[in-house]
Amino acid sequence: MSVVRTQSATAAAVALLLVLPALSQTPGPQPAPPAQPGKPPAASAPAQPPATAAPAQPGTAAAAPPPAAQPAQGAKPAQGAKPAAAPTGAPAPAPAGAPQQAASEPPPKVDPKIFDEALKDYFDNKQEQAARKLYAFVESTPPTDENYSWAQYFLARCLIDLSLRHGGAVYLAKVAHERSNPQVLPKTLEALKVLTQVPHDEVLIDEQIFGSLDLGFLPDSVSDYANYQQGIVDLRVGNERWAKTHFVKLEEDGVEASRAKFALLVTRLRNAKQVDDQVIDDFLELSKDQKLTLEARNEARLAVARLRYEKKDYEGALKAYDMVQLPSLDPGRATLYLEEAWTRYNLGQLRATIGLLTTLDAPSFRDEFLPDKYILRALVYRDLCQYLPAKRAAKELTRRFSDSLEAIREREDLTQDFRLRRAANSHGSTKRAARFLDSLNLETEQLNRHAGGFGDRLYKHLQKVYDLAHAESERIYQQRLRDAVREEADKLLRADEQVRLMEYEVGLKLYERVKRGAKLAQPEKEIQLTSAQLAFKFTGEYWNDELRSYRVSIPSRCIEEGAQ
Amino acid sequence: MKRTLLLLVCLAPVLAYAQGEELENPGTVLAVQDRTYRMSSELWIGIGVAPLDAFYKGLTGQVGYVFHFSDSFAWQVGRGLLSYNIKTGLRNQLETQFGVNPTAFPQLNWIVGSDVMWTPIYGKTSWLNSSVGHFEVFGTLGGSVVNQRIAADVASGSGQTVFRPAVHLGLGARVFTSKSVSFRLDFSNEFVIYKGLESNILLVQLALALNFGGTE
Repeated sequence: MSVVRTQSATAAAVALLLVLPALSQTPGPQPAPPAQPGKPPAASAPAQPPATAAPAQPGTAAAAPPPAAQPAQGAKPAQGAKPAAAPTGAPAPAPAGAPQQAASEPPPKVDPKIFDEALKDYFDNKQEQAARKLYAFVESTPPTDENYSWAQYFLARCLIDLSLRHGGAVYLAKVAHERSNPQVLPKTLEALKVLTQVPHDEVLIDEQIFGSLDLGFLPDSVSDYANYQQGIVDLRVGNERWAKTHFVKLEEDGVEASRAKFALLVTRLRNAKQVDDQVIDDFLELSKDQKLTLEARNEARLAVARLRYEKKDYEGALKAYDMVQLPSLDPGRATLYLEEAWTRYNLGQLRATIGLLTTLDAPSFRDEFLPDKYILRALVYRDLCQYLPAKRAAKELTRRFSDSLEAIREREDLTQDFRLRRAANSHGSTKRAARFLDSLNLETEQLNRHAGGFGDRLYKHLQKVYDLAHAESERIYQQRLRDAVREEADKLLRADEQVRLMEYEVGLKLYERVKRGAKLAQPEKEIQLTSAQLAFKFTGEYWNDELRSYRVSIPSRCIEEGAQ
Repeated sequence: MKRTLLLLVCLAPVLAYAQGEELENPGTVLAVQDRTYRMSSELWIGIGVAPLDAFYKGLTGQVGYVFHFSDSFAWQVGRGLLSYNIKTGLRNQLETQFGVNPTAFPQLNWIVGSDVMWTPIYGKTSWLNSSVGHFEVFGTLGGSVVNQRIAADVASGSGQTVFRPAVHLGLGARVFTSKSVSFRLDFSNEFVIYKGLESNILLVQLALALNFGGTE
């Protein structure tokens, strides 16, 4: 029987394509909020109504005719305040019994001065109050007002500061779409670019904003990113020539230029019938590009390794795997170890292969969906004529995934299968959709905490925004999940089939008669430790710094050839 | 004969179990790693105390140089200790209330010596499950020359400074912070040899060690 690793150049290309959008988003460890802006510079400051050139001070409120809802003259506006103490015409929160009514009522007229007060609140780190006032201003002011876009922008900043990123993104997107104030636009786009580093609405930001921007007027800080995004959109629909027209505009030394090279290489790989050495060299060069993130450089190294593997250059593939750099104590990725294990298996390094498979049993990877792992382990044991462990390793797959296999056979809804669902959620576009959905859930909870501070009108409005986003992202997620679980199920079924073949073959070997005069094959020479090496006996306790260092000593029980 | 048979019958399941275990879980697994920290030429400087004597407590400063032949064997080529002695309450009392001459109390002045160092234990430890630290434990054995002031005649209260040989025995631990910097905690004892007047000088010391030329 021959069991082959189910990986082809096309599969490698698809795998790379799956990571491509992730690269484009430069995931950061911390969903950093946008940098706290200083007050807008004089040149770009929001236009101030003549009477309110300075931020409203407690005393200045008296200068304007006080609206009905204004607090007593001289009272400090909304200092540490409850919503009910909102000054200068901010809509008072409606009574608890009538939220719907409050939301459907036409917006009350507010004093334009509320904008200055809101800005003051914002720079005083009173985001809740600022958001409420800005929303009141936006609601009651025509979009042609000079401060309208600034109000939307600062409302977005308030929401982002309060961890309501999607709400913030919606307002930033409005500014970017309407483009009524060219001074606000660069800051808006920069804030949106920052938001792309965390789970976000890809349709809203990547496609509708950056994917469709008129690139002529953009500031340098975002034009590269927009060009890159538009190139990526073109690449996804298969139009490399159009993509290149965007990519050539990228600054040569910029990060986006490197990412664009990576994207182009992946696309070429997908379309290529045969992998030539030039592509490998290009990936290798990219893997040394310090402008790329470590993750992107590692992706390039993995691409080199996979391509060399496909060309059966196993030694070269191993070198590329060795080049993958992991941060200190980072466990790395299960696929990295599994691919390296296959490479070593093909080089005949059976014990090293088992060492890597030991790594894959670590708690960090226990939840990974790796049916190949069991097949490979069984293959190694079979090659060492350790038939009982081989049989057991093969059986382990059917034992471990019995529920999923049963669900597949019974044609149940696979999205409800825990293991398949988790596997589908672990990579690609489904992972991004799941992360965005999770972030929406968290933000919805967060929104409820601000219900009092926002007042009914803003709260109800944001609830609608989040409900809509949730429904849409749930739809997208379910759609992607259905496709992804089917792929995972196929993978599992193929592995199950191979395992059955393996069990049969091992069963035959297990009861094979030993010929007369047969003797065990010469044991392989143990590799001695050098003076610079240390050996820690593995007793089932995994240390992250040891994950790539396991060495297995296992005897071969094979009978020497030539026995009578 | 019956006993032998009975013994064999009893042992058979044990042997079968052992064989079954070997068949099902063959092999052993080792985590083989390059040693992260290797010492070569070590210069250290430390501060410590000599806490044993009832009449004074010594605050010590010590420097030394160690040449590491291998990861487990080294020669502490030289070390020199200087002690700043602080009178205890008992000595103050004796001097002020009983008129004992201050020079009548024996005390440590300085020590120089050389030792061999054996490092059988090198390990790593987890700090709050978030970082890994490396350490080693070593022992030292060597000889010293101790300079002490002793009471020549307690009755008259006269004292004199003498040199005496001593056997140095120590146990220490080292925590590595980088390839070139580590910290040592040493507990050592000087067995001062003098006919009929053997004495111990216990030293506890914390030292900063700088490693030069260690392999990466």
